[in-house]
Amino acid sequence: MTKMIIPIGPQHPLLKEPLSFQLTVTGERIVDSTLRIGYVYRGIERLAQERSYVQNLHLLERVCGICSHIHTTVYCQGVEALLELEVPPRGLYLRTLLCELERIHSHLLWMGVLAENVGFTTIFMYAWRDREIVLDIMEELSGGRVAHAVNIVGGVRIDLDEEHRDSILERLDLLRGKVEDLLGVVQHERSFRARTQGVGKMSLEQVRRHCVVGPVARAAGLDVDLRRDAPYAAYDRLAFRVVTAQDGDVWACTWVRMQEALESLRLCRQLLSELPEGPLAVKAARRVPAGEVVSRAEAPRGELLYYIRSDGSDRPARIKIRTPTLPVLSVLPEQLRGIHTADVPAVLSGVDLCIACADR
Amino acid sequence: MQVEEIVHALRKVFPTASIEPGQSPLDEAFVALPANCILAAVKLLVERFDIYHLSTITGQDTGREIELLYHFWAGGGLTLRISLPREGAHLASVTGLIPGAAFYEREVREMLGVAFDGLADQRPFLLPDDWDGGHPLLAHRPEEVPE
Amino acid sequence: MLERIVRWARRRSPWVLHFNSGGCNGCDIEILDLLTPRYDVERLGILKQASPRHADILLCTGPVTRQSRDRLRRIYEQMPAPNWVVAVGSCSCSGGIFHGGQSVLGGVDQILPVDLYLPGCPCRPEATIDGLVRLLEMT
Repeated sequence: MTKMIIPIGPQHPLLKEPLSFQLTVTGERIVDSTLRIGYVYRGIERLAQERSYVQNLHLLERVCGICSHIHTTVYCQGVEALLELEVPPRGLYLRTLLCELERIHSHLLWMGVLAENVGFTTIFMYAWRDREIVLDIMEELSGGRVAHAVNIVGGVRIDLDEEHRDSILERLDLLRGKVEDLLGVVQHERSFRARTQGVGKMSLEQVRRHCVVGPVARAAGLDVDLRRDAPYAAYDRLAFRVVTAQDGDVWACTWVRMQEALESLRLCRQLLSELPEGPLAVKAARRVPAGEVVSRAEAPRGELLYYIRSDGSDRPARIKIRTPTLPVLSVLPEQLRGIHTADVPAVLSGVDLCIACADR
Repeated sequence: MQVEEIVHALRKVFPTASIEPGQSPLDEAFVALPANCILAAVKLLVERFDIYHLSTITGQDTGREIELLYHFWAGGGLTLRISLPREGAHLASVTGLIPGAAFYEREVREMLGVAFDGLADQRPFLLPDDWDGGHPLLAHRPEEVPE
Repeated sequence: MLERIVRWARRRSPWVLHFNSGGCNGCDIEILDLLTPRYDVERLGILKQASPRHADILLCTGPVTRQSRDRLRRIYEQMPAPNWVVAVGSCSCSGGIFHGGQSVLGGVDQILPVDLYLPGCPCRPEATIDGLVRLLEMT
């Protein structure tokens, strides 16, 4: 049978961000694919060298709009380690609260996008409507729905009083009911299960060889979560479980992410109920002593790593960012091989790509 | 802890390896190795300790030399440091052992001009097709070169 | 007479195409938010389209990077006239926080004629709706 090449992107209804695939198909089966990224390459690592540590807070928050807070968290953690600062407990708890709220919003966003791309627009509408609860909470705390600017080197700049805290707890309980309903619908909806179960299967071996991280790796059975394995922020004081699945298909990714969202809701409840008193931040010097640090955290999509080298001035000598979508892109051609063309939207949405993160 | 075992094993197999002493911020273990040992070191990690997780390869131009840092996760953070000359730098690709390293090597090749022997994919990775600005992360201006 | 009908149709059902030419995604998710129940722009007749040939308005987000420049231009050329280009967010107005980056050319007006600038980082959905309504009222 003759081979045909189907291009996807850079502009495509499936893709929210520019990315180019060339799918080689024989009949209805994909035999190969190539990938071209770099449409969103803004040279952030180079820009970061020309700005001070404080200016970089604003730049690095905009590496990605969906996981903006975790980028500044990892960055601040690294710079605070170089400055040998200890963030006060209240600051750590609030920083962690935003991390978990961001995880919930990211997973609900993803759920909506996956559902829309497999034709289940109702879930897109419901998931994004419920996501507005989280965005409202983040806006009340920080002033921004998407870009929060909560982290400063040395702590956080937001605070909340008891009345606000109680109001947030009430709304998170409401949200928990809605997320459970959403999960119930997709779990029992046979056509959704048919479109996602067995589609885009990945083995644990493939996941390990390509160094995949995050919910996609956990869906294939890899039991790694940096919140538990290398606790940062306030995670060493919190109890939570890490969700894994076995099959590595799109349904397993759905299950893992929705369970993680529910687990994050429990974490938010813990954080708010046990919020310690005290200051929010410590004062940080503008010049960072010479040194280097590798800072890691668990972003909604997986392990986010920053390598920061300072030379004693008020500007970083090198910032290297490794975002969790890169290894997922690395294994994507293997995942696409052998599937039906009609299953491509499910697989591409199922792995939750964030190209702005990958390209930097 | 596994990282300590690995560092111990690296020191035995590579006598010229220098284990950086002292407490590094956020408990990262740094081990400096000669460039021609990288493939053997990664083979040791993969075959003896079953460590596949290469988080990324950082490349940086310190002014004096190009430094490559292979960041591994082995239950704790372990970084292998390789120094290369600024001109004509090349070393072995580890993609035969860890296929996921391909993206990181391509990025280092693009940003710093380091050649990886055995890296199959030589197409542009992040830079535009019509890029003519050289290697973005090389220090070009004299004032960028630190003392 | 025909012109009045056409103008009435354009104002009542402007179909949009969204293209991200290099942005962080913040403005993109705020644009997608417009379609969801809280903001619901379908009540204004706005539908998101898949193909440039079906669109009246091009919503651009993100600064224009060198790699996306030609693709952005090609998308604009495929849109039938009359059409509008809206720069959503600070980055597509002027390059935003990435201005000066080696591979960043600047805002969308470096490549295309922009009819409406909507600043914000990201641009709030309320601001986008306000801007689109004003644009339609100007026709």
